[in-house]
Amino acid sequence: MGSRLSKLFLLIPLAFLVVFFYVPLVSILKTGLWENGLTLRHISSVLANDYHRRVIAFTIGQAIASTLLTLALGLPGAYIFARYDFPGKSIIKAVLTVPFVMPSVMVALGYILLFGKSGIVTELIGRDLGILYSWKGILLAHAFYNFPIVIRMVSSLWQRINPHYEEAAMALGAKGWTLFRKVTLPMISPAIFASAMLTFIFCFLSFSIPLIIGGYRYATIEVDIFTSIMMLLDFKTGSALAIIQIVLSMGFMYLYLRALDAYAKREEQRVFRKPRPFTRRDWLSLKGLLVGVYSMIIFLFIVSPLLAVLYDSLRFNDAWSLEWYRRIFSTEYNPMFGATTLDAVRNSLTFGLATVVLSVLVALPIAYALHRWDFRGKRLFDVLVMLPLASSAITLGLGYIRVFHGTVLYFTAWIIIAAHTVIAYPFVLRAVSTSLKKIRPNLWEAALSLGAREWKAFLKVELPLALGGVIVGAIFAFAMSIAELGATYMLAKPEYTTMTVAIYKFLGARQFGSASALSVLLMAVSTLGFLIIERVGEEVW
Amino acid sequence: MVRVELRGVVKEWEDFRLEIGELAVKDGEFLTLLGPSGCGKTTTLRIIAGFEKPDRGEILFDGRPVNDLPPYERGIGIVFQDYALFPHMTVFRNIAFGLEMKKLPKTEIERKVRWALELVGLSGLENRYPEQLSGGQQQRVALARALVVEPDVLLLDEPLSNLDAKIRERLRGEIKRIQRELGITTLYVTHDQEEAMAVSDRIAVMNFGRVEQVGKPLELYYRPKTEFVARFLGLSNIIEVETTDGVVKLGNIELKMGTKGRVKVFFRPENVKIHRGSEARVVDYEILPGRVRLMLELNGHTIISEQPLTDLPFDPERPPKRVGVKIVSFTHL
Repeated sequence: MGSRLSKLFLLIPLAFLVVFFYVPLVSILKTGLWENGLTLRHISSVLANDYHRRVIAFTIGQAIASTLLTLALGLPGAYIFARYDFPGKSIIKAVLTVPFVMPSVMVALGYILLFGKSGIVTELIGRDLGILYSWKGILLAHAFYNFPIVIRMVSSLWQRINPHYEEAAMALGAKGWTLFRKVTLPMISPAIFASAMLTFIFCFLSFSIPLIIGGYRYATIEVDIFTSIMMLLDFKTGSALAIIQIVLSMGFMYLYLRALDAYAKREEQRVFRKPRPFTRRDWLSLKGLLVGVYSMIIFLFIVSPLLAVLYDSLRFNDAWSLEWYRRIFSTEYNPMFGATTLDAVRNSLTFGLATVVLSVLVALPIAYALHRWDFRGKRLFDVLVMLPLASSAITLGLGYIRVFHGTVLYFTAWIIIAAHTVIAYPFVLRAVSTSLKKIRPNLWEAALSLGAREWKAFLKVELPLALGGVIVGAIFAFAMSIAELGATYMLAKPEYTTMTVAIYKFLGARQFGSASALSVLLMAVSTLGFLIIERVGEEVW
Repeated sequence: MVRVELRGVVKEWEDFRLEIGELAVKDGEFLTLLGPSGCGKTTTLRIIAGFEKPDRGEILFDGRPVNDLPPYERGIGIVFQDYALFPHMTVFRNIAFGLEMKKLPKTEIERKVRWALELVGLSGLENRYPEQLSGGQQQRVALARALVVEPDVLLLDEPLSNLDAKIRERLRGEIKRIQRELGITTLYVTHDQEEAMAVSDRIAVMNFGRVEQVGKPLELYYRPKTEFVARFLGLSNIIEVETTDGVVKLGNIELKMGTKGRVKVFFRPENVKIHRGSEARVVDYEILPGRVRLMLELNGHTIISEQPLTDLPFDPERPPKRVGVKIVSFTHL
């Protein structure tokens, strides 16, 4: 165990989690389960209601279907990326990072522009594919977000399989499908399972996408909670739904963490197989054709909503124009969201960067404690600090309304930043923990033997080596904060409108041109944010 | 410099128990812990360093218990098997790390780092990063980093086992030279008996979590107390026989044992001298660099003899079927 001082240091993030996660959580439990004593009345009335039952079934069903679609789209890519080198691979790789930085309201907008009644694709092929306002659109958008995760996680493990295993199996007579099924698949399955679970959780808790492109018929639990609270002002039903959602997602999260452990264990084998360069012969074979077609498909899949938004933002009355950009900077929309576009840009940036700082400050001491200390109940501690991952933004917003309404914090920017931090910090914690685990323990011991105290050894030796993880976590936190819609919408008073909320309001008002222009601006701002984080991250240490 | 002592140190795991009743590294001594992998030698070193806490027992530096001192207050320098150089720091910064922790003034840090670099023969490489160095150079940096803080005790955990045979031999000589020059109390961990014999003042042979025997290299080699020590250091002849009068007879050779009953007679192959004769049958014969090895059958016992190529009573390329044997030095276990 560490010194008294470092334990004190851990108390601050823990206090933060208690106040901004556990207290709101308990208040939801109380609202949903307590009425002059413990009661299951609200839960059972939700479960007895046909509409809510259908919503729950749909939420799970669409998450399963989205996960399968994501795997189908991602696994071939994982194989190609792990095994082959070909011209254009780096471009595809760069393109694959786009979904991480693209807020879901923007993807939803892209799909409206592509597949809507007068959408680009609809007009191109002359008929409505029925993708928008249906489950098809939800599945597609979910796959869009998650298949890069599958590609990344699976291909990185695939590359690390010691080639001798496959060679030994081949020497023993295994080939083709049998070789894959009996030798390769069992070795990459932790990555497949972990990425699938992560995808499933994202889809299960998905909000903006079903809200915008699912329409009312295809609501998820998350959307259902939102409507119960924000439109029907029914906190009892909202809380009961939130409890059902949390119980389910905790189970899923447990499976995910287990899968992640297995994945991390496999990842430790640091044997790299160099991907084989594609030869001319390869290109001319069926394999080359498939790789080419697949690359084209994922390229189009990712780039098309982006291009649709960009195109739409530059078209005004069927002509090229910057009119939409002029409009969003004029004052005509101010009454609609109570702030100027510049305010929204400033809010998004402020909340984003504050979230980065705060979630790194919360995650670092916890990561240190998990990495360095051994204590009773450590497994439980690990689960408790990761629990925010299982809770959704809407649930958090609901809890905040219950707890902080009437306090000085309510309607401040701080409460929004706190919500974003609770949502984003588990990802920072994971990223930092993973890179800390990869550092050889000898380095720490060497530092101690040379006279460094524990915290100094951490600051001077381990943290600089884990810097990559911190930066990845910070970028993730920034992206999540920028894209966050549900909690911000529930908690922000008009002058704290963010760009994402503004885009959502434009969509509600069918102002697609303005939404597009603001989306392009949002992309620019978030790219700028990533660059800043990367620069600052490199310089701080 | 200090004297390091372990007293009644016990550390237990589910499937392993380390127990060291009494072990001392004298002031300025080079002591080696030698044993097979899993014998507890590295754990012993880590207990002295303070990375592991013993369940019981005392660790004393100059008679002062250090059990409760963290590694950074023990005054140790340690070199790991994989060197553990900080990959994000240059050679200079790696070596300077311990001095910075002591908050020494900049000019002094610079002076001491230069001294350490010179000591290990690496002057001029201070701005390289560890990954730009060869294994041998990394090893020297690790040694310089451990020594520059002028530790009371130097701990070396298999420092040469990741290196090629040639470099290993050269570096072990240098480690020995530097240790003598600085007169630093040194604990060295290895599984390589040759390395242990070459560098140590004394060797402690460990097996299954216990110290089997401590002594000077030749003492262990010629007068091992247990069969394990005998077999771990070089080739051995161990013959188990019954004697009623304290004399063991092997053919026409009589060995006076000074003990009765069941004895294990022990002697080294080089102590089995060969002459023209016929009491032993040559079962197997190998020519090795500088010597020959004979597997002999003598009175129903198989014994090994090794003789210098220059000192054979026959043409090395035409070994006879039978030879005469004389055992010049022996003991019992």
